[in-house]
Amino acid sequence: MASHKESIIREPLVTGKGITYAKVTDDILAPVENKPNRAWWIGFTFASLGACLWVFAVSWTFWYGIGSWGLNKTVGWAWDITGFVWWVGIGHAGTLISAVLLLFRQKWRNSINRSAEAMTIFAVICAATYVVSHMGRPWMALYCLPLPNQYGSLWVNFNSPLIWDVFAISTYFSVSLVFWYTGLLPDIATIRDRGTGWYRRIYSVLSFGWTGSVKTWQRFETVSLILAGISTPLVLSVHTIVSMDFATSLEPGWHTTIFPPYFVAGAIFSGFAMVQTLLLVTRKVLGLENYITMFHIESMNKIILVTGSVVGVAYITEFFIAYYSGGEYEQYTFLNRFIGPYWWAACMMYGCNVLMTQVMWFKRVRTNIAMSWVLSIIVNIGMWFERFVIIVTSLHRDYIPSSWAMFYPTWVDVSVFIGSIGVFFTLFLLFIRVLPSIAMAEVKLLLKDQSEEYKLKQIAEGHLDPEQVEFYKNSLKKFDSVDISVYENA
Amino acid sequence: MDSNKKYWKGLEELNKTPEFVEKNKHEFAEPIPIEDVLSGDGLLGKTPRRDFLKAVGFGVGAVTLAACQKVPVHKSIPYLIKPEEVTPGVANYYSSTYEGHAILVKTREGRPIKVEGNPNDLLAKGGLSAQAQSSVLDLYDVSRVQAPLVNGEGKAWNEVDDYVKLELAKIQDSGKKIAIISSSISSPSTLAVIADFITAHPTAKHIMYDAVSYTGIIQANQNSFGKAVLPHYNFDKADVIVSFGADFLSTWISGEEFTRQYVSNRNNKSLQSKKMSRHIQFETGMSLTGTNADVRIPLKPSEEGVALINLYNAITGTTLPGTKKLADNAANNAITIAAKELAAAKGKALVVAGSNDVATQTLVNAINAALGSYGTTIDLDNNSNQYKGNDADLAAFIGDAKKGDIAAVLFLDANPVYDYYNTKEITEALAKVPLKISFNTSLDETAALATVVAPNHHYLESWGDDSAIAGYYTVMQPTINPVYNTRQAEESLLIWSSSATKTYYDYVRNNWDKNILAMGGLSGQKGWETLLQTGFVHVAAKTAGAYSFSKDLNAVAQTILTQSTSLVAGDKAYELHLYQSSAIRDGKHANNPWLQELPDPVSKVTWDNFAAMSLTDLKALNLQEGDVITIDANGTSIALPVLLQPGQAEGTISVAVGYGRAKGGAVIESGIGKNAYPLYSFRNGTVQGSAVAKISATGDQIILAQTQTHHSYEGRNVIRDASFTEYKKNPYVNSGKDGEHKDYKSLWENYDRPTYNWVMAIDLNACTGCGACVVACNAENNVPVVGRDEVRRRREMHWIRIDRYYTFNDEQGKGVTEEHEIDKLKNINNVSVVHQPMLCQHCDHAPCETVCPVLATVHSSEGLNHMAYNRCVGTRYCANNCPFKVRRFNWFNYWNDSRFENYLAEQHTQLVLNPDVVTRFRGVMEKCSMCIQRIQAGKLQAKMEKRPVKDGDIKVACQQTCSANAIVFGNGNDPESEVSKALRSERTYYVLEELNVQPGIGYQVKVRNTNELEA
Repeated sequence: MASHKESIIREPLVTGKGITYAKVTDDILAPVENKPNRAWWIGFTFASLGACLWVFAVSWTFWYGIGSWGLNKTVGWAWDITGFVWWVGIGHAGTLISAVLLLFRQKWRNSINRSAEAMTIFAVICAATYVVSHMGRPWMALYCLPLPNQYGSLWVNFNSPLIWDVFAISTYFSVSLVFWYTGLLPDIATIRDRGTGWYRRIYSVLSFGWTGSVKTWQRFETVSLILAGISTPLVLSVHTIVSMDFATSLEPGWHTTIFPPYFVAGAIFSGFAMVQTLLLVTRKVLGLENYITMFHIESMNKIILVTGSVVGVAYITEFFIAYYSGGEYEQYTFLNRFIGPYWWAACMMYGCNVLMTQVMWFKRVRTNIAMSWVLSIIVNIGMWFERFVIIVTSLHRDYIPSSWAMFYPTWVDVSVFIGSIGVFFTLFLLFIRVLPSIAMAEVKLLLKDQSEEYKLKQIAEGHLDPEQVEFYKNSLKKFDSVDISVYENA
Repeated sequence: MDSNKKYWKGLEELNKTPEFVEKNKHEFAEPIPIEDVLSGDGLLGKTPRRDFLKAVGFGVGAVTLAACQKVPVHKSIPYLIKPEEVTPGVANYYSSTYEGHAILVKTREGRPIKVEGNPNDLLAKGGLSAQAQSSVLDLYDVSRVQAPLVNGEGKAWNEVDDYVKLELAKIQDSGKKIAIISSSISSPSTLAVIADFITAHPTAKHIMYDAVSYTGIIQANQNSFGKAVLPHYNFDKADVIVSFGADFLSTWISGEEFTRQYVSNRNNKSLQSKKMSRHIQFETGMSLTGTNADVRIPLKPSEEGVALINLYNAITGTTLPGTKKLADNAANNAITIAAKELAAAKGKALVVAGSNDVATQTLVNAINAALGSYGTTIDLDNNSNQYKGNDADLAAFIGDAKKGDIAAVLFLDANPVYDYYNTKEITEALAKVPLKISFNTSLDETAALATVVAPNHHYLESWGDDSAIAGYYTVMQPTINPVYNTRQAEESLLIWSSSATKTYYDYVRNNWDKNILAMGGLSGQKGWETLLQTGFVHVAAKTAGAYSFSKDLNAVAQTILTQSTSLVAGDKAYELHLYQSSAIRDGKHANNPWLQELPDPVSKVTWDNFAAMSLTDLKALNLQEGDVITIDANGTSIALPVLLQPGQAEGTISVAVGYGRAKGGAVIESGIGKNAYPLYSFRNGTVQGSAVAKISATGDQIILAQTQTHHSYEGRNVIRDASFTEYKKNPYVNSGKDGEHKDYKSLWENYDRPTYNWVMAIDLNACTGCGACVVACNAENNVPVVGRDEVRRRREMHWIRIDRYYTFNDEQGKGVTEEHEIDKLKNINNVSVVHQPMLCQHCDHAPCETVCPVLATVHSSEGLNHMAYNRCVGTRYCANNCPFKVRRFNWFNYWNDSRFENYLAEQHTQLVLNPDVVTRFRGVMEKCSMCIQRIQAGKLQAKMEKRPVKDGDIKVACQQTCSANAIVFGNGNDPESEVSKALRSERTYYVLEELNVQPGIGYQVKVRNTNELEA
């Protein structure tokens, strides 16, 4: 990319001293090329136990039937679709980071996009497992695909939002996968070039014959842009369509036109929270503090704050419309969130998502790693409850009072959900072992103009406005990866 | 300007090193390497291509050969000699009789699968109870005794006969007594057989007793009028009905018949002629009849007699000695008004009481006589034969047996060890009887003690007859060969009395030829065959005489008052009231899973009995619903969970009998409820179901399996009701049909319904909420039974349910339905109830149809909402989107999952399944199909007869069994069809109309004749 001098007041995107292209490669490939450390093993043990629990619980469900879950005649969806929407929502950050931020030339995305995209793919896989496992007859899932058949070509129902879901999720998954893999190609080639033996051969195949020639790079950039263009509408469309599963229905509490923007904001909200959760741990465990800096953490916190507030406004709007519409069923549903038997779930939802995130207005909170991590977890708990409230609290008391019922989860419900988290982390931990968790090639682009070292050199050259330099120095104080004493001497 | 300058990027390019040339070749173009392949060794060398083709060829060939393997063929063998009348796939109907009702039994390929009412039945005109509907399942019950037993050992019938005959002969010689204990028998032929047996064994005596006895009425009629019979009541002739605890729409004497009669003065036809009967109910617990009453006053058992005395005083203007006012002002007021209304409706008034006390019933007779009810609403001359038992007879038997005077006892359809109030006495007495013979079909509590078990046929395997009402004779014919090695009890008795007639069939024939056929104008073989087709003979009724009451009431009043005083509960004690639940009744059919899973019409509890108490009492005792309490009365105690029952009289507990069976079938032996019979007591010569009880909390908790847990309709557009006064002023009242009705715009196009538009009309004013339709639907549509645990998880599979809502009336008599408003009410004893049958509404704009991803639920060109099980993948979205919540999901494989004691899973009971309806696999959705199999059959029949389908040709199962005729089904395209007429009624409204899903089922506003009492 065109190199230009960046204003000194901008915070560095890569910190640390002696950061060369080789060091970037060495640092980032360290977990890939070396034996995993203890932390990884501990994490992997727990994650794979969780994955085994998932396999067990889902097999149990397949063997005995959906009856092993806590659903009933009134509440036909509960933890299953809650989990599904939750995972799809989490998947949203990846696309937003890789596509939208790319189009907006937000270079800070370069060091987080890889993990975020990987997370997207794994989250969508988890969501997709719910799509199949919640079916009464999963072996007939193919009926949901518009396949030619001998029944006089019995088609799918294009009126059904579930069919839109099938298309939306599969498109989203395939585009995300292609985008992610395309971005991986130069890095895989790097691993190939450094490796030997069978290791080299595998990565050789995976690198699709990447040569690193100018033309390759040029095409790489073009493809990335095109894919970013394709992905951008998906960021909005996927959760819009997921929200239509509810919005196009007749249920009070579901039948709401605000759902598409509300769900998209919520998805980005929870997606960034999940990225935050993962990266805060990853940067520490893998020693990547210089590449995922406080600037990244704070930027993501800002997005969480903004989307959290958008979600808050959506919540208020929902209540206002319920009141303003005069629809008695709608009004009861929203009243029931607080006065009904699931009041605690609503408290979790509104408390975690709106109230707790408001503390991020404070810079001290935004730049505090421990608090950021806790808040990111709280957000994801809150977002799970949001879906639970929308689905279960609306369903359990809808139109006909005789059918009002409670939903109580069984151990299978809980195990499938916890198991899906296990599956997710298993995949993620395997990913950071075999593929670079940060896009090396893209980070290297930053070294020549946006790294701390480069900026230090600029200061040393001394042609800068001292006021701006002072501002820059002050902004570095929050960084945990910057040795501030260097600047005090300068 | 041309430039000859060359720019190079590196020394390699300048020098054109071979590596550079090789690498740079593909910088801009990547041609397909055809040249390389053609010139290289792509086509030469070893031939992987040919190997590949060989492998493919072999593989495909091998797979093809493997696929040629014969699939195992299971040959179904057709009839070698096809029986006349049996065409596979075509049902045959046989007329028979169940509890005196003329019925039709539907058989397929020789097995009975459904019981239907005979439309000409005198009693219910085609209506049938839940018990009758479920009786077909008992036929296939694997818990039946499958062969005769002597001392617990299986024996052949001739061995049994030899043994019994020898024993009876010995007894004959010794001169000791023989007792035949049975429940009430109304079959003339059975009675004749027993009489013959007694002739052959002169020491034998026939004792009839009923688990829930009507001795009180029978004795009172003996005392008052010299006729020891149960009268025949005519509720259709009554304009004012006052009932004291008589659950006449359900468990009292002849529920289906009374329902038909009662509703005829309250249904659409009656309302349109501006007529509606008035029904005032005084009762302790909330009964099905109480839920239908216009005015219902909670009354303690101890106050019932006092209230009757007050009523008598008010009607006749006398004052019986010891008269006192009731504690509750509302009740006093109600008595005064009831007396005024009854007196005004002289000759068209009826007072009934559920009590089994002779004195109480004598007073009721006096009231009815004063009202001129005899000859109009009460018919003593064409009496009922349904109950004949005399409590004193069984008590006398126990006394004799304990003395050792009884040498043999025969039990026919009687289970006193379970349902006699004093279990200890009866067990001790039976221990002293050397020969005990049970004809009971299952190894129940009594049969388990028997020396000889000679299992009777199920009635669907039997010949026989019945006469529920004098002059009305129904015939019973077998519809299947005996399923097990059983023998009809009457035949056993014939053999044991060495009768000349060897088979019971001949006996019945002879009896009818001699005594009954001629009364119906029939004779000979032809007459008999006609009878087997029509099912009954009805002799013109005798003129009902008007009886006047002339006995002294002072002693009666004294007895009543003494008894009332003895029932007044002291401190920390409660008045206990025992009743029969609408589904399980006296417990004889408790082993039937259809009945166990039929929700109680009032409490909606399945699979259990409970202690119903009022909210005030629960609060005072600090008890929650489901807390188990011990009820201590008459020296025994049982532990039951409490249920909050709105309308329950304060200070009382109601408990249903019929539960807690210890033996007699796999279903009941799993432990369902507790036996409440031991809480009965013997007072004034009869067994009575009221007592003073002490209670204490055990600390245990049981979750009752209720199908409905929210009990008010929150003022929603689900239920619409009105008072009769309002209705008379404006027939459109509250139906929203007169101008208020909004025309909603549709987003969707309407479906074409060129020929038929199957729709339904349900009259909330006719529906009593009994639930017979639920069981009829189960039987017709192979609906699975899921068991108590699954009902607790709210997963019952019923395609039709009866929603029951309470409305609490405030001080101004205004109905309060919203939960938070109800909480504020001080007095919640004034309860109105409405029952609403709810089933798939077959919406024309069905919300379920648009959301199904795979088009498994679609609209038909006949206005039906179809369900294609084979296409369903089970996302349950349709059920979520159904505003009526009528869709049912197969959570498990109910017909093939060992964890469910399901009739579907049992190979033998599977025979009851309707072959026209598939069983559903787990993971698919199901729901009411409007009996599509019946619609198709009706259309086919019409087509074969080359005519259009006539209105009434096709009846859906729920409609068919409804004694109240609350459900009307038919073609909405035909303006003259019954259903079109019903839907044109001013009272018609659609549930949740404003959603514009355009339901195919219209409901008619519930009208209550409440107006006058609020004064």
